[in-house]
Amino acid sequence: MRNIRLLLVKDLRVLARSPALLAALVVYPLVFAALVGLVVRYASDRPRVAFVDIDHLPETLTVGGQRFNVPRVIGQVKGSVDLVQMPEAEANHQLSTGGVVAEIVVPSGFASKLRGMVESPRLVLRTTQGGLSGRVEQQTQALVYELNRRLQTAYIKANLQYVNLILNGGKGTFLGDEFDVLGLSGAAQALDEIQRTSSDPAVVARAAELSNFVRQARLALGASDESLHATANPIELQIDRKAGRTWLLSAQLQAYALGLTLAFICVLLAAAALAAERDENVIGRLARGSVRLRELVAVKVLLAALVAIALGFVIALVFGVLAEVFGVAGGEPWERLPLLVVGLALAGAAFGAFGALIGALAKEARTAVLVAFLAALPLVLLGLVPEAAARVAWWAAHAFPFRHSVDFFQAALYDTDPWGALGRQAAWLLGLGLAFGAAARLSVRRLLS
Amino acid sequence: MAGALDPSAGDVVSAGNGDGHRIGWVPQRPAQYARLTPRENLDLFARLESVSDPVATTDSFIRILELPDDGRLTTHLSAGNQQRLNLAIALIGRPEVLLLDEPTASLDPRQRRRLWEVATQVREREGAVVFATQNLEEVEHFAGRVVVLLDGALVFDGSLEEFSNSPEADVFA
Repeated sequence: MRNIRLLLVKDLRVLARSPALLAALVVYPLVFAALVGLVVRYASDRPRVAFVDIDHLPETLTVGGQRFNVPRVIGQVKGSVDLVQMPEAEANHQLSTGGVVAEIVVPSGFASKLRGMVESPRLVLRTTQGGLSGRVEQQTQALVYELNRRLQTAYIKANLQYVNLILNGGKGTFLGDEFDVLGLSGAAQALDEIQRTSSDPAVVARAAELSNFVRQARLALGASDESLHATANPIELQIDRKAGRTWLLSAQLQAYALGLTLAFICVLLAAAALAAERDENVIGRLARGSVRLRELVAVKVLLAALVAIALGFVIALVFGVLAEVFGVAGGEPWERLPLLVVGLALAGAAFGAFGALIGALAKEARTAVLVAFLAALPLVLLGLVPEAAARVAWWAAHAFPFRHSVDFFQAALYDTDPWGALGRQAAWLLGLGLAFGAAARLSVRRLLS
Repeated sequence: MAGALDPSAGDVVSAGNGDGHRIGWVPQRPAQYARLTPRENLDLFARLESVSDPVATTDSFIRILELPDDGRLTTHLSAGNQQRLNLAIALIGRPEVLLLDEPTASLDPRQRRRLWEVATQVREREGAVVFATQNLEEVEHFAGRVVVLLDGALVFDGSLEEFSNSPEADVFA
């Protein structure tokens, strides 16, 4: 242990003598996490979709007596996709060349069917078979849902006018034909009149029976306003955008920022630090007797763990201060930071052991840094693949500490009952750390050649 | 011989106690930490070698080998100073056997003389100094036994006097 402590102090001293490197250690992961988050967010949120208007929709469309400004409505509902209007031939060309990921076609007769309110008009969606097609379908469904939501108000209003006509009577039109309707109110008055004036008990009894039916029908139709709205929206979603943490400070981003930081910094640091012992020609002197090779590997793993704790703490503090300054609802869970420190140490050690293995295999510090980066990048991306997207990749990601460290950090910071997840992820990180550490110990003798 | 490499064949046998001798190693390319000062390097290796008083030992080696002690990092030292630090680290554990690999290649005449003065002290306290060199003058001044390797093969093994009279001395001609 004494040798490990001496070499660890040496490594920390060397690290502290590189202020530019120290600054990069803190700034790089924060910037990196934010950039990755932004790229992922905007790359996935607004795919370019062609809008082909074969029906030549008018500027203003009247549906159920309600006027719609068509460009404005489309502009309001296209938030989830970048909707670009173009001729059909151009859209087909761009779809085949990847210029757009889908095209939405308004077929001929669309507007007249919409105005008629008898038959549902159809929009046509054409997509490729690429990986984005499923997501574009979802977003187009969302767009159609949003259009339907706006149109249903007009439809309900038109239907209620008919109901009102049945209730109160008057002049109505349907498919261009005008007609007069007595209405239930008029019918009730007529039936009351019959009951008052008729001397035939059978007619009076029959009129009373009809009058009772008309009263019940008026009551039932009187409630049709609310019931029509309820039928159109069995469940309404209320979106309150002001509540909760902002996206930039979200729990997920914080966990990913920590995971990304450690994945790159700890792997690169341990790889470079171990290979540097050979570059400085010191490993032979150390291995000659005063230091065991397993102690040398342990030093690099501990160095990565210590740096992970320090950096992770700084990142958590930055997020916490920002959350407090901007008054983000939920704020930083300060009382959970001790749990976070455990995760940082375990994740840092696991990443460090992986880096030490790379350092031992690469032999030279420059090569080790390059190989560590090239190895860490795809392994991190593998950890970002959702289970549903590619199950094999999701399982493969379990062999690298990134996925486990992110899950540990999320559970440690925000799960209401984190212990199960923490136990599982801690066991994974410990197991991976020991496995990579053992492999590094077996490989480190290469540095002596 | 230094124990830094696994032998590809054969054994290294030394006549010491069961644990073998303490061996100090001066590789041709300095083996020290460039981002530490000479004092920090010496102090670290003194502690790794379990020297009883690392601070005092470090002080004495800085003085004896006239090493800079102004806080400069080792990477900023001259080649000669780096080689003397290399020697100091090898000597700090008071080795009984000192291995020197082309130790004077980057030293000026005064520094060479200083290095051999210190190295000779190991032999004076009944230790052994094994050095590899291509400098015949150093062989004549400091060697008691000479081994000549040519293209990796042993071509001569004998006393300095025998070597001087042997055709293998032409290797240095």
